[in-house]
Amino acid sequence: MKPADYPEPFHDLVRELRRLPGVGPRSAERIALWLASAKDARPLDLAQALRHAAENLRSCQTCGFFCTEEFCEICRDETRAGGEICVVEQATDILPLERTAFFHGRYHVLGGRLAPLDHVGPEQLRIGELLARIKIEQPREIILALSADVEGEATTNYLAEILTPAGIPLTRIAHGLPAGGGLEHADPLTLQRALSGRNPVRV
Amino acid sequence: MLRDLRLRDFRCFPELVFEPAPGLNFLAGPNAHGKTSVLEAVCILLRLQSPRANSLAEAVRFDQPGFGLDGHWGERHMHMKFTDALKHFALDSKPQSRSADYLAVARVVWISNDDLQLVRGSGSPRRRYLDFLGAQVVPNYLRQLRVYERALRSRNALLKDNRPRREIAAFDSSLHEAGGFLLQARAAMCADLRNSARESCRRISGGGEALEMAYLPGSPADFAAALENSRDEEIRLRTTVVGPHRDDIAIRLGGREAVSFASEGQQRSVVLALKLAQAGRLEQSADDPPVYLIDDVFGELDPTRRNNLLKALPPGAQKLITATSLDWLVEEDEAALFSVGGGVVAKKK
Repeated sequence: MKPADYPEPFHDLVRELRRLPGVGPRSAERIALWLASAKDARPLDLAQALRHAAENLRSCQTCGFFCTEEFCEICRDETRAGGEICVVEQATDILPLERTAFFHGRYHVLGGRLAPLDHVGPEQLRIGELLARIKIEQPREIILALSADVEGEATTNYLAEILTPAGIPLTRIAHGLPAGGGLEHADPLTLQRALSGRNPVRV
Repeated sequence: MLRDLRLRDFRCFPELVFEPAPGLNFLAGPNAHGKTSVLEAVCILLRLQSPRANSLAEAVRFDQPGFGLDGHWGERHMHMKFTDALKHFALDSKPQSRSADYLAVARVVWISNDDLQLVRGSGSPRRRYLDFLGAQVVPNYLRQLRVYERALRSRNALLKDNRPRREIAAFDSSLHEAGGFLLQARAAMCADLRNSARESCRRISGGGEALEMAYLPGSPADFAAALENSRDEEIRLRTTVVGPHRDDIAIRLGGREAVSFASEGQQRSVVLALKLAQAGRLEQSADDPPVYLIDDVFGELDPTRRNNLLKALPPGAQKLITATSLDWLVEEDEAALFSVGGGVVAKKK
């Protein structure tokens, strides 16, 4: 005799949940149980939200940030036009930069960085789009804000090589100490970078 | 100093208690009775990794879920267990989530027959020999090594696929920054080790030909320029041809290459001298000496060299030495003798 089991729709649900990042078989079963039987679960609201997000969320044609229309709110904002373009690896990198409330230009999401070991080359990145944009928008400056590891450095070097002929001032963000932190908390490499990238003090 | 060690479900031992003496300790017994396993357990307890197994899972006793090790290093109580493919470790009964504090307690020097690769093998065991030391005594060494390896592998992947030059060149700055650091640090370490290695070799072989070790950098002094100049060759060979990944150490005995001209016994003396020099350098940068774990090396040396090696070991350090027989041991030696067999370690003297 075959032992009793959950009905098929429950298994379908568990199978889909397991595909989510960070959800293992046990968690998937627990979430599915909760969705199926808890009083406050509201599974149809969740289904509605998923559908809505899947149908409406997309990337901005110009910069690659999240949006619901053809262009994102940053690219539609005319007060940001003609300023700087800040190049970042991922769309999520834009949010911390926006929270600084210091930068008022536009962004460009590369969609990754040069990583030959993961088979990511320049063709997989939005570099052609960046070059096309620069021709049209003629920004005041291009700021490279990529991560400070081997692949990030390589991507910065590569972009510098490609973008220099455009004749637009090119900068990269500084390495250094975390704000409000003393020297004793900095690791040696950060401190070394901070030393070699020091600025003149103006009186 | 290791005062005591307890094993549970480790290799062939369901349970074992071992209390080594402060100085010399000999573990004698027939093959396949667990002499090396006791030494391995010491290494895993103190350093959380095995010198001979790739995975700690290999050290679990057959059909058991995991093993446990427990012991005292001086006043510190160290405990580690391995279950469900996970390491858990506690210092003075306080579980640790990061290994840094735990590993700061004690150091080990592992000497075994595999070390012969230092003389006979390709350059990679000799680079590993320098890296092992560098990671522990040179600040930032390990980090720069990781950066170098990643930049090198990326660059080689691009060269192999015949990618455009500017993609390859994008990795050059990381490569010569980290590579320059490694070249400099390794040259300094070799200079540090030269004299003490020669001295140890002289003592072990009882005079005779002088040991000479010299750093052979994998790149001329100007690494950036050398990389630039090697362009044609690296395109032809599709790999990076200059840099510290090509480093080596020349080992000569009486002016001749040790790998081809030294005898078996001489090669063993050279290897022991290199290891003792490394250990001596490690000892300088810590408060207390490491414990010397010497596995099965004595069987291959003649009685004079055995006794010379014993004298060349630092007198203040604790030494655990395995051997199949101890007939050659000079009687007046201050040593604790243990016999290993039948799942027990018994103290004989």
